[in-house]
Amino acid sequence: MEKRQDLLTGLIFTGLGLAAAWMARSYSGAGGTYPMVLGLALAIFGGVIALRSVRAKVNAVRPLSEAPRNLFLATVVATGYIALVMPLGFFTASVLLMLVMPVVLGFRQPVYLVLMALVFMALVWVVFSAVLEKPLPPEFWSTLWREA
Amino acid sequence: MGFFVDATTAVFAVGPLLAMFGATLLGVLIGALPGLNPVMAIALLLPLTYSMEPLVALAMVAGIYNGSMYGGAIPAILLRIPGTPASIATTFDGFPMAERGEAAKALKVACWSSAIGGIASAVALMTMGPLLARVTLFFGPAEYFWIAMFGMASVGVMVGSDAVKGILAATLGLLIGTMGIDSLSGQPRFTFGQTWLLGGPDLIVVLVGLYALPPVLQLAEKCDLRGLSSAQLRLESVPFAKGELRGFVPTWLRSSFIGIGVGILPGAGGNIAAFLSYNAARNASDEPETFGKGNPQGVAAAECGNNADNAASMIPALSLGIPGNVVAALVLSALTIHGLQPGPQLFHQNPVLVGGFMVEMLLTSVLILLVGGVTATRMFAQIQRLPGVLLVPSILVLMCVGVYVINGRPIDLWVMLLAGLAGYVLEKVNIPLAPIILGMILGPMAEQSVRRALLISRGDPTELLTRPLSAVLAFATLGMIVWPMLKLLRGKRKL
Repeated sequence: MEKRQDLLTGLIFTGLGLAAAWMARSYSGAGGTYPMVLGLALAIFGGVIALRSVRAKVNAVRPLSEAPRNLFLATVVATGYIALVMPLGFFTASVLLMLVMPVVLGFRQPVYLVLMALVFMALVWVVFSAVLEKPLPPEFWSTLWREA
Repeated sequence: MGFFVDATTAVFAVGPLLAMFGATLLGVLIGALPGLNPVMAIALLLPLTYSMEPLVALAMVAGIYNGSMYGGAIPAILLRIPGTPASIATTFDGFPMAERGEAAKALKVACWSSAIGGIASAVALMTMGPLLARVTLFFGPAEYFWIAMFGMASVGVMVGSDAVKGILAATLGLLIGTMGIDSLSGQPRFTFGQTWLLGGPDLIVVLVGLYALPPVLQLAEKCDLRGLSSAQLRLESVPFAKGELRGFVPTWLRSSFIGIGVGILPGAGGNIAAFLSYNAARNASDEPETFGKGNPQGVAAAECGNNADNAASMIPALSLGIPGNVVAALVLSALTIHGLQPGPQLFHQNPVLVGGFMVEMLLTSVLILLVGGVTATRMFAQIQRLPGVLLVPSILVLMCVGVYVINGRPIDLWVMLLAGLAGYVLEKVNIPLAPIILGMILGPMAEQSVRRALLISRGDPTELLTRPLSAVLAFATLGMIVWPMLKLLRGKRKL
């Protein structure tokens, strides 16, 4: 058992459960009782986990990440991608992601990378836009092109 | 049983047949790539099935599930890297066989064993599912409530290593399931004034985030920059000796029974079935010392066991509405996408669809024999030459397109990211994800049932326990929660 992690996890869920039960007070009838009971149950289970971690005699260290640097970089790039999908358009943002993510993680074969990005995105375009005709966020340059 | 004729006719159409073939191929590919798993693949696939016929969508789920369980054996045998958790036991004898130069033979044994396990499991589903569904005719709201509770309690307790954390996860799922407009009173709950939350968080969006993002982040952490060399993936074609296949029959029979038994049990997965089957084969063998050193019977037992779990895990899902594992939960989600209500009534209201899915589970198991030959396997093995780091953005792109097309809402992309990051942390602190999803699926059914039961009894809560069937289910649920805790306490006292 990782005492510190479990204590924090238990406390977070206790807080979450109590907050849910508190909010459920304002809902009328059984529509409020049911989530209130669930909120209290969540708080109790969270409390049990926190209490157990305090009473545990052994502290088995359990790292949250095997490679924190890579995890951080991947999360930042993924967040940036989600943020850019709407303003840039799906295909532009995705091509950027395909090129940036591997480089950030240490991949240094530019030809392989560009080829992979182009082939994969072409495949995505064929499947989702041409065959399935799924509406995706429009490209920023297509709007500029139309305005021009 | 008449509905099976209609179901088979419906399945033998161009759409479902093409979907089964393509998805089984894709499933083997996914299984062959360490880091990818069937749950992630099906979660990514589900949003794209909105516009498809339900039987085509389910054919794809069946193909990916069965195909990937065999695909996991490819890296397990060639590289001692299990492609899926269920193929860990395959490495024990598969890799030593590959080291001896018998990789092709090990793959052939794995292919046959996977197909036979899958076929046995599908037959069990086709025979036991309808029988179990008949029991649900005696169910009232109280029984529906307890059956949902029993399903969640058993998955919560059995899925992870910590029963309390499992039950906490199920409670969290139930609580998330209450978000949005209350279907009985019409009042919004936990919507924080956001109109997009009136329908509650989209199940598929949360599912894609929870199940696809954590493996992507783990791939990024591992940072595989090279992939494998072609020398590591060399395969020689070796035919079976005359009568050699017959020698596997007792192992296949034993492992099929074990896999089916484990599959029916909610919460237990293909890896448990594979380990139990492997141990049973070793105990039954005249040469137990050869296990772990390249005995083909070990490969046969592990692969047959993990595939025999597949269709059997759908028995409680399709007949009672309790998904026994995450893939079963995904199948129920696929049904929800197509406007069908998972639960005990599913079988009675949509017999052709449910029967069709059963037939598809059977046919995709047979298809493994077709797409899992040595030539095809040699082709699939080449996918492992791709550096893992290139898969990270590719999967992110697929996640994004899959989630966006559901509602066309940018907010869903953020919900997916948030769910994925939360899923990554929850897994790291040993909180299982499956009970959260099950809670979200079964929560609304449980709430409606308990409130209906109380309305019928004019608020008397004893109604939930006074009927014999509901009392049995209530005690079973209580036992499922209390038993592991008692065991834990007893263990502590002994110390």
